[in-house]
Amino acid sequence: MAIVFLFPGQGSQQPNMLHDLPPHPAVEKTLEEASEVLKEDILRWDSQEALRSTVAVQVSLFVAGVAVARVLEEEGVSPNMVAGHSVGAFGAAVTAQSLTFREAVSLVKLRGELMEKAYPNDYGMGVIVGMEERQLNRLVSNCFTDEDPIYITNRNAPRQMTISGSVRGIEKVLALAREEGASKAEFLHVRVPSHCVLMKPISEKLRREMETIPFQSPKIPYIANRTARPLRDGESIREDLAFGVAHPVRWYESICVLAELGAQLFIEMPPKSVLTNLAQQVFPCRRSLSIADSGLRTACIVAQRIKENRGR
Amino acid sequence: MTKIYREKRSWKTRRDRKAKRIEQLERIAKGKMIPTEKIVEALEAVIFPGDRVVIEGNNQKQASFLSKALSQVRSEKVNELHIIMSSVSRPEHLDLFEKGIARKIDFSYAGPQSLRMSQMLEDGKLVVGEIHTYLELYGRLFIDLTPSVALVAADKADMSGNLYTGPNTEETPTLVEATAFRDGIVIAQVNELTDKLPRVDIPGSWIDFIVVADHPYELEPLFTRDPRLITEIQILMAMMVIKGIYERHNIQSLNHGIGFNTAAIELLLPTYGESLGLKGKICKHWVLNPHPTLIPAIETGWVESIHCFGGEVGMEKYIAARPDIFFTGKDGSLRSNRTLSQVAGQYAVDLFIGSTLQIDKDGNSSTVTNGRLAGFGGAPNMGHDPRGRRHSSPAWLDMITSDHPAAKGRKLVVQMVETFQKGNRPVFVESLDAIEVSRSARLATTPIMIYGDDVTHIVTEEGIAYLYKASSLEERRQAIAAIAGVTPIGLERDPKKTEQLRRDGVVVFPEDLGIRRTDAQRSLLAAKSIEELVEWSEGLYEPPDRFRSW
Repeated sequence: MAIVFLFPGQGSQQPNMLHDLPPHPAVEKTLEEASEVLKEDILRWDSQEALRSTVAVQVSLFVAGVAVARVLEEEGVSPNMVAGHSVGAFGAAVTAQSLTFREAVSLVKLRGELMEKAYPNDYGMGVIVGMEERQLNRLVSNCFTDEDPIYITNRNAPRQMTISGSVRGIEKVLALAREEGASKAEFLHVRVPSHCVLMKPISEKLRREMETIPFQSPKIPYIANRTARPLRDGESIREDLAFGVAHPVRWYESICVLAELGAQLFIEMPPKSVLTNLAQQVFPCRRSLSIADSGLRTACIVAQRIKENRGR
Repeated sequence: MTKIYREKRSWKTRRDRKAKRIEQLERIAKGKMIPTEKIVEALEAVIFPGDRVVIEGNNQKQASFLSKALSQVRSEKVNELHIIMSSVSRPEHLDLFEKGIARKIDFSYAGPQSLRMSQMLEDGKLVVGEIHTYLELYGRLFIDLTPSVALVAADKADMSGNLYTGPNTEETPTLVEATAFRDGIVIAQVNELTDKLPRVDIPGSWIDFIVVADHPYELEPLFTRDPRLITEIQILMAMMVIKGIYERHNIQSLNHGIGFNTAAIELLLPTYGESLGLKGKICKHWVLNPHPTLIPAIETGWVESIHCFGGEVGMEKYIAARPDIFFTGKDGSLRSNRTLSQVAGQYAVDLFIGSTLQIDKDGNSSTVTNGRLAGFGGAPNMGHDPRGRRHSSPAWLDMITSDHPAAKGRKLVVQMVETFQKGNRPVFVESLDAIEVSRSARLATTPIMIYGDDVTHIVTEEGIAYLYKASSLEERRQAIAAIAGVTPIGLERDPKKTEQLRRDGVVVFPEDLGIRRTDAQRSLLAAKSIEELVEWSEGLYEPPDRFRSW
């Protein structure tokens, strides 16, 4: 249970992220497949301009994640467990073979479109670092109004959380958080209030669309965003992917459960190293690396060594 | 005379049941030997649904071959098991519940699996009987939790089933005794079968079956701390402990909980302790695992004896070369025994010192935060005043603060913490997170590790609170606040009261002990790195790979 593949979500995107993927037949194949399903050249989706749309962001992140996961498997590095942050969960589910890449591409595109249409303006997300949840909860409850709702959403580390809701509401909370000693309290470049109850209608639409897709039992444990439990059946994964967008991502607990299940090496798919940094923070004794920073070769070497050391 | 009706009953149902189990194994086992590749089949044959099964889950030694095999039995054949384990450490321990093989668990410590355990409890996938200290759990093995089957681990066995458990004997003799003498079945996994054992730790007549494991049992180095990571604040606190507690109260015997704080004390004895002229006067008899950081104090003649709960990876050769200090067999290797060490640590030492994650204003402490069910391990056992104690010692008597004729002494129970944890989280809090955890996990009582009533001293980087001297609960609270720094509790202190407590010697700051904060330098450590510990041990200490930088 030693090797974990992690798939990043919105926030990790960067221009040319698909062009910058390692040259490898598995990448070519994945990009081709994506373009076929989308009926467009996927390589048009990672320009700075194109990434202004959350649809392009989500699909590009998803495709990049799966492409590199396939490369690693072809190079002899297979994951024993998977987890993905927000849209990254789709990459995790495909890698666990719960649904096919093609089925997932359409779903991710739909997810992005539904999100984009629902809240075009005045809503967003913020990030707060250096504050206890109890304290932040107090702030958020005090600032909450029906016209300007705000919610605590993702729990990424013990004192690192996101908030989602109306921009005005977020502004209020960020200001108070700064006053009360948060080391960081700022807006995220996301124009949708993800991972809270405001997204319920979208998650329900998504779930209806997913009814016709057959979900298989995953070949390896997939850690759910909503519950931080290891899921071993297709039905639960379908629910997690559909409703995940309307519930907080319990990322910190997910990493803890992975560690308890025996994770020795966390490998983060590109782009960037957001999840690697978080894992390193909470589990400095386990190895974490990102393909973006360390490259494929190092990842393969370290994975090989970990496999050999198992049992020692 | 009225006749009292007595139903005719069998008085040997347990023996009969045991005979039945052994019968089931006749076609699989050859005498006492179960073939390695038949272990799953064997477990399916000998374990009945609803059985109480104890799995050797020590801290260090894990019966990993047997626990993995148990997690592979078919749940249609073996289910509803009641598992008893001291330490729930491995993923497969909880897999038993996910797979429907086991349903209920009584345990002591679950740190390495605490989140998953909390999740499974919430999801109704397992039921917790009770959470115990080690010694309590061992005690219940002889009362109402006697196992039908014990799965244990040993280094070697001979063909008669005699076992050599060596340095990592830990709790094996206790688990085996409870099971063997109540007609349970004892199955031992061994690393190898041999003709001549170095010594016999457990006699073969107590063992029913042996299986050679497919790889050696898992052993974790849990008690090694790299001196490189000891900070100057920890050194400052260690100096205060040596001067303000060990010297002050004439501590002859003690237990150190594991941590960088206590490692700093161990490494300061040969230097700071020496400069105070304390060698040969204090800290002579120890009960603790073989901490590598104790090597310099042993080498310089501070230590007379050490009894160990378990072994420690890498220390085997060093221990064998120091039989004057450790408990070793005729073969030369360490004999550890968790149960007896815990008894010694409870009743026979002057002092316990350890660290914790949260302390409330009354001095209650807990390591439970974040909704995890970590359990207790051995700390509450050592970290309390055993009121059944009757023999006295100078330190125990020194705790008497009244001249009431029936006054008795106390064991020193010391909590040593920095006022803030990593990430700027205050250690001193208004109310323990544990209270919320017990509510959501619906536990019968809040999981408090050490009760404020039992604590005699708290040490922080601000100073020492001699709580045993506090004349009231209010005074105790004030003394704690006085050394709680800029935590919310500390900020509530009344400066006038602090001054008065200082005058009365209930609160002491480093300068009152003649210690300047600038004296607390890493250069005071007798060894500043793992390599230096190896040097001190004359090359006998062999650190595990993860501690080597060469």
